[in-house]
Amino acid sequence: MDKTAVSAETYVPVDSDFRLKNNADEIALDANFAAQGFWRDVFIRYVRKTSAVIGFFLIVIIGIMAIIGPGMNEYTYSGQELSQKNLAPRIPGIEKTGIFDGSETMSTTTGSKKVNHYEENGLDDVYYWFGSDMFGRDIWTRTWEGARVSLIIAIAAAVIDMLIGMSYGLISGYYGGKTDIIMQRCLEVANGIPRLVVVTLLLLVLQPGMVTIVIALMLTEWIGMSRIARAEMLKLKEQEFVLASRTLGAGSFFIIFKEILPNIIGPIITQVMFSIPTAIFTEAFLSFVGLGIPVPQCSLGSLISEGFNSFTTHPYQIIPPIVVMALLMLSFNLVADGLREALDPKMKEM
Amino acid sequence: MKKYVAKRILTAAFTLLVILLVLFILMQLMPGSPFNDEKLNDSQRAMLYAKYGLDQPIYIQFFRYVGNMLHGDLGVSYKISRNTPISQLIQTRLPISLFIGGFAVSIGAVAGLILGLIAALKHDTIWDSIATVISVIGVSVPSYVFALALSYTLGFRLQWFPMLYTVQKSMGSSVLPSISLSMFTMASIARFTRTEMIEVLGSDYMLLAESKGISGFSLIFRHALRNALIPIITVLAPLVVDLMTGSLVVEKIFAIPGVGSLLVNAIQSNDYNVVISLSFIYSALYIIIMLVVDILYGIIDPRIRLAKKGD
Repeated sequence: MDKTAVSAETYVPVDSDFRLKNNADEIALDANFAAQGFWRDVFIRYVRKTSAVIGFFLIVIIGIMAIIGPGMNEYTYSGQELSQKNLAPRIPGIEKTGIFDGSETMSTTTGSKKVNHYEENGLDDVYYWFGSDMFGRDIWTRTWEGARVSLIIAIAAAVIDMLIGMSYGLISGYYGGKTDIIMQRCLEVANGIPRLVVVTLLLLVLQPGMVTIVIALMLTEWIGMSRIARAEMLKLKEQEFVLASRTLGAGSFFIIFKEILPNIIGPIITQVMFSIPTAIFTEAFLSFVGLGIPVPQCSLGSLISEGFNSFTTHPYQIIPPIVVMALLMLSFNLVADGLREALDPKMKEM
Repeated sequence: MKKYVAKRILTAAFTLLVILLVLFILMQLMPGSPFNDEKLNDSQRAMLYAKYGLDQPIYIQFFRYVGNMLHGDLGVSYKISRNTPISQLIQTRLPISLFIGGFAVSIGAVAGLILGLIAALKHDTIWDSIATVISVIGVSVPSYVFALALSYTLGFRLQWFPMLYTVQKSMGSSVLPSISLSMFTMASIARFTRTEMIEVLGSDYMLLAESKGISGFSLIFRHALRNALIPIITVLAPLVVDLMTGSLVVEKIFAIPGVGSLLVNAIQSNDYNVVISLSFIYSALYIIIMLVVDILYGIIDPRIRLAKKGD
């Protein structure tokens, strides 16, 4: 790259013109491993990625809290105590340090001042760990209850999507020909309808509730899954082991679900993990627009929507559900990323 | 190529028709009537039904509906603003939504490109990690979380930008909504640019260009980036979807008088003519964008249309 060295007559290469070829992909040290199964291999590659492990633990922690969280204090998710509304977070023990002591800063026209509604109302032995909302419901309990509802919806939707999309894609890819053309045209049309429109309209027609949201998610999310299943099927169906199985007299359904499915389970699991955050987001979005879970039940989305109404005056009401939801979506994405790389190390990093 | 384009256009048109049919059927199934005012008696109600053509057989209503929609006559609003043509309602709102959407895409594209470039050029350094963390957060955290966070910190606490949208100061009050909407665009473009750039930078033709004495700016932008950006069209589809969904909530948070907030209002007040028209507009926009993306991609990358032909 030394331009001054270039002369019309002869060019004598200098050291800096040469560089070692990057041949990391071509030669690799042969590492000897003890014979180990595919899943163990996946596990080793997975734990090597820190972000994926962090994501996994976050999901476990939030999952456990969603199970035991609502039962950890005496409040219930729907129990109202109107005399104790809009109380700031107060945690026994930590309150002495000055944070979480139940005081909040109120902005008034003359400036801001610190008030403590617990002391003003003589509620000395009342503790709301995350505060209470405008109906005097405990936000701690409601946050974890909401996390539980959101997780149930997301996982149910993801599993149903997997079953529908996987079967559709596998069948379409396996039979090929006319079946494939017709099935793919249907899919193209279905894919042309924006998800937003389908979900919105469906929730207008059906009664709002958990089952409806799952159905709405089911109708929209299977397409991506079926594309992946079909692509994998096209890759595998001409291989020898399929031919061998057919020669031995196996029927189509046996080949599809017993021979090919176990070989493509990796990409399918990855896709399921990616569709869970989408489901959480869609549910939260629907609740925010007012089409979500009916009161007094709650989900993360409906909590955020409620907290939004007073988020400038009582910001502590919106923070817990938003943080839990953001962490949940983030960690599912991290886990999905990690799984994708662990299951298919040759795949392009994305 | 002609055959491929024709096929794509045909599919798109058919999809639009299916959407119209689905919208129409779903709307028929909707609970509630637009005229459930207690003060109306049966004959008055029948008169109203006759006036809006709701007493005709279903299929006539449908054909008339399709014809009207394609003419751009979207019907009138029953509830939100009585007897106002919907096209008139949308007329003032669509430019606002498009402006904010466009603003968001531009911010996202520029920031995403810069972020992705930094990550690729400083591969495996702390810069790369920072860029990756930012883009993972951007992809996984929904836009309205950003919207709430921004409007609380920058809008309410620091008061740098207005918390709510005002028509008078449309530029300044568009900043926060656009930034919140742009996060997903930014993050996906950053991730994509990074992956493609790393691949391009390691390729043989880059080595050739470098050994010919091309260096610095020209090497990165003219030789590497141009090749890396060709497949970026593939990320457009999820971006459009995200912008549409995101705009509904973000418009509600910042009180923007756009199409998204109109749809939310219409849903909540059961104004089904407005819901049906907006769904149609959203679908039509979506289908047109997908069509353009598919055709563009076919033009740019011949492998795509050849593969489709062999399909």
